[in-house]
Amino acid sequence: MAQMAATVRVKVLFFGRLRELIGLAEESPELPEGATLAQVFERYAERFPKLAGFRGSMVVSRNQEFAPWDARVAAGDEIAFLPPVSGG
Amino acid sequence: MSEEDKIALVREVIDGEALARLVRAGLDGATVAFDGYVRNQSHGRATDYLEYEAYEPMAIAKMKEIVAQIHEKFRIHRVAMVHRLGRLEIGETSVFIAVSAPHRGAAFDACRHAIDTLKKTVPIWKKEYFADGAVWAEGELPPIPPNAKSAS
Repeated sequence: MAQMAATVRVKVLFFGRLRELIGLAEESPELPEGATLAQVFERYAERFPKLAGFRGSMVVSRNQEFAPWDARVAAGDEIAFLPPVSGG
Repeated sequence: MSEEDKIALVREVIDGEALARLVRAGLDGATVAFDGYVRNQSHGRATDYLEYEAYEPMAIAKMKEIVAQIHEKFRIHRVAMVHRLGRLEIGETSVFIAVSAPHRGAAFDACRHAIDTLKKTVPIWKKEYFADGAVWAEGELPPIPPNAKSAS
């Protein structure tokens, strides 16, 4: 019997040039439970190929803290893809 | 961070003088203020105006972390740290930081540390508009924490 993969609902946000590039600021996808942030990014890079080239010039946050790419998502997480910051 | 500190993101004009007054108190002897404002050119190209956007809740959290850090590191009294968002014209203040302290050295050091750290870690983005187009400012990549596997 095929096993149903568990999924979790999270919120994903894009800012600055990344938001502009793909025309998406926010959505609430269902992702495989335990997916890494790198895998979440890969899903978006497949959907929006223009994103792929930005992987090296961005950081990711999980629940409003900068996070390593191998951190795993949990239900209700808020994940944001952030280009280099330029406040001040 | 103390209850006397002021940390905010605003969309209206920043009143720097009012913020500098706000941090003054009887026990202090010095206030150092940093007033960052919009330059009329970028890499030799005449700027028309700027637009700032932020990941607002995270930006506020990171600004609070910076203020907590400078309280820990330096002998200072009060801090005001305000960043403006939205459209800004040439010469308008985008960020204002005021730090009061009993003695000037700590106020200078803390204010410098605060603006340098803000520019590296607070999720705010600037888009520069020129007569013939617009670009996102290059910016700095915030340091990322070590891999989840190696941290425990």
